[in-house]
Amino acid sequence: MAVKPPRVWVSSVKPARGEVVRVRAQIEHLMESGLRVDPAGNPRPRNIVRSFEARLGPQLIFRWEPGIGIAQNPYIEFTFLARESGELLMLWTDEANATQEARKTITLS
Amino acid sequence: MQRRDFVRCSMALGTALALPRARAQTRTAVPASLAPNPAEFRKAMADFIGKAKPLETGLKLDLPVLADNPSAVPVHVTVTLPLSDTLYCKELILLAEQNPSPLACRFQFTPYTGTAEAAARLRLSQSQTVHALARLSDGRVLAARQAITVAASGCGM
Repeated sequence: MAVKPPRVWVSSVKPARGEVVRVRAQIEHLMESGLRVDPAGNPRPRNIVRSFEARLGPQLIFRWEPGIGIAQNPYIEFTFLARESGELLMLWTDEANATQEARKTITLS
Repeated sequence: MQRRDFVRCSMALGTALALPRARAQTRTAVPASLAPNPAEFRKAMADFIGKAKPLETGLKLDLPVLADNPSAVPVHVTVTLPLSDTLYCKELILLAEQNPSPLACRFQFTPYTGTAEAAARLRLSQSQTVHALARLSDGRVLAARQAITVAASGCGM
């Protein structure tokens, strides 16, 4: 998997209660679909990001299961309603079970 | 004058020889597995909808009409119905009708999310219709779709 850390943007890390927080995140990943071939004509083995999970503290708030129809270097954007403070943990897992994670602390203002 | 004619002639000959070869190479590089899979598309639709009757309201699907880069087509989906602690969107899927693997991705939300909005970038193999289906916690299924024109295949990239 990629060496560079995930790129994460959060609309506000100090949201008011009830405010909609928007999160954009992207990692580097080839998302090898299994449909491509190498120059010798052999198929390249499939390896895509199979899940993305976002948790605020202990609560799961968003889950994404990409298929092979998702672009490489997968970009994901989601929103949630700020109701409590906590650490926003984002976790990517690919089909080779390699993981990447990113964290942001959300504090209600 | 003679030299100019010679150069022009050899250039034309050169391109004539080089082009078909380059074209043949790109053609062999695209595997036959990029063909659409209508059976899998119908199955994915039926599996998600179940016995519910899809409603054509409350789900906003936003994507360009023309995909200038088919290997990364921005798609945005939002459930526009008012959501509450008891009514939330459980699951939302994106389907690309003519892709070799039509189920592009699956989004899942929980009561803690409070919203139902997501965006991602798709790879599209050809011009087609993109479908979005959302299942709410009360069992309702919302549907939205939009046709998109694709300039070139994105799946082989």
